[in-house]
Amino acid sequence: MMFKRYFIVLGVVLIGCLVSVPVWAEEDSGAKEEVDYTTLSPEELADHLIFKTDSFDLEQDVQEGGTARQRMEQDKLQKVCSQLKGRRAGQEEVQQLHADARASIEYPEAGIELGDWEKGNEIARSGYGYRIGHKYDSHKKNSVGGNCYACHQMDPEEITFGTIGPSLAGYGKLRGNNEAMRQYVYEVIYNPHAYFVCTHMPRFGESGFLTQDDILDVMAYLLDPASPVNANFQADSEQE
Amino acid sequence: MIVKYSIAVLGLCLGLIGVIGATYAEPSKAPEDVLQGLIDETQSPYLTQSEQNLMMMPDNPAYWLEEDGKALFHEKRGPNKVSLEGCDLGKGPGVVKGAYVELPRYFEDTGKVMDLESRLVYCMTELQGFAKDDPAVKKRHGSSSDMMQLQTYIAAQSNGMAWKPPLDHPMEKAMRDAGEVLFYRRAGMSDFSCATCHTNPSGTRIRASVLPNINEPEEWTKAISWPAERVGHGNVRSSQHRMRGCYYQMRQAGLQSNAEAAMALMTFWTDAARGQPAILPDLKR
Repeated sequence: MMFKRYFIVLGVVLIGCLVSVPVWAEEDSGAKEEVDYTTLSPEELADHLIFKTDSFDLEQDVQEGGTARQRMEQDKLQKVCSQLKGRRAGQEEVQQLHADARASIEYPEAGIELGDWEKGNEIARSGYGYRIGHKYDSHKKNSVGGNCYACHQMDPEEITFGTIGPSLAGYGKLRGNNEAMRQYVYEVIYNPHAYFVCTHMPRFGESGFLTQDDILDVMAYLLDPASPVNANFQADSEQE
Repeated sequence: MIVKYSIAVLGLCLGLIGVIGATYAEPSKAPEDVLQGLIDETQSPYLTQSEQNLMMMPDNPAYWLEEDGKALFHEKRGPNKVSLEGCDLGKGPGVVKGAYVELPRYFEDTGKVMDLESRLVYCMTELQGFAKDDPAVKKRHGSSSDMMQLQTYIAAQSNGMAWKPPLDHPMEKAMRDAGEVLFYRRAGMSDFSCATCHTNPSGTRIRASVLPNINEPEEWTKAISWPAERVGHGNVRSSQHRMRGCYYQMRQAGLQSNAEAAMALMTFWTDAARGQPAILPDLKR
């Protein structure tokens, strides 16, 4: 009797396994699943192309830990700002994103004091860090930069600077360096959406791209009177 | 009688002139002349940013690839020992003239929207019988690769022609619209999308380079005119190589060869240059 019951249980388990294997296999080969693209919305198709078609190497390890997949998944801010396609966000959305951005900012325990402008200079010029794919950035070989010059003018004597963002030449000379100013600059670098919702600028602090110390060094480059950003600045060279 | 005869002769002559005229009126502008036309029209800072590059265009190293690619195209190759004259790039087997400005497009035989590179892979494997890992197929980048030589030859047969990717098939339309979403889609460590760099006012720079704006079709046609010799690389590069580089700089995941996401983006970006003349082969910074 006991024996018989045992066989029934074993049978049920075996059948269960047989049934579940194909189901499993089907889920596993989800990438090859036939989907009629013309029935999907543009957003659904875009997501399908990214996550279900082997278009990207999603399994590659990334510097911050985890895999490239997380680089492709959007958070709320990325999602909302993408949908705007450059248009202005609605008032309610702006307030929400602005509040989220403010809440994301973490401050240095020792207060916001300027770091080393020479280190800040290096960070501002370097575009190294967090690139993956075919030529992986090794953070052991080189330190991470903020690539500020790609978008901003800083030292007025540097001629290769981008113009996607505003000029920061003479930044400290023009604005001073009091506590309120330091807090503002720290916050803008940490998460610029706290002031400019849906700006092109990366969230250098929130994303972990730059450390708190890196940010304080870049701030020194911007605000320290000895930094070339200010020392090389004459009021009329601001025009560039 | 004589009058009738004269009219007939006159008609014949006019016809002959017409035929000769049509033969010689074929667009035979060099790529630098196509570009000059756009510069004259717009004075765009993107188009004029490097005087040295403009001067080098008549001696574009890509012309060597065009020659080699032409020979490769007509050579009987692969295990099946056939040329690519049987390869349908969208305008019928072997038709290369004007094929490139109408890509990407939907192909019945694969049920997919394909660009030039993915179509070449298809023809080389299916028609010529090359294995997928044969260097002829597998090596996608660099001036010495068969793939870049073939692409340069085929694309150059569309020089000066207006971009007109077909959007008649529902798949082409779906991919174009998904491509637009991808173009504006911010993600990754830096929150970047293609739009971060390519929707700014004309003349905006990244470091020292003037960026092309997708909303300025006269700029955008040059931006998407690949293959192009990239002076800084010393190699002729493809559309897919450019796109992989952009995803790399955006800190997003590595874009794979012949990715469907790339087909979608390319369908969108070619549509954005619609009507503007292609500059092929081009030469870029």
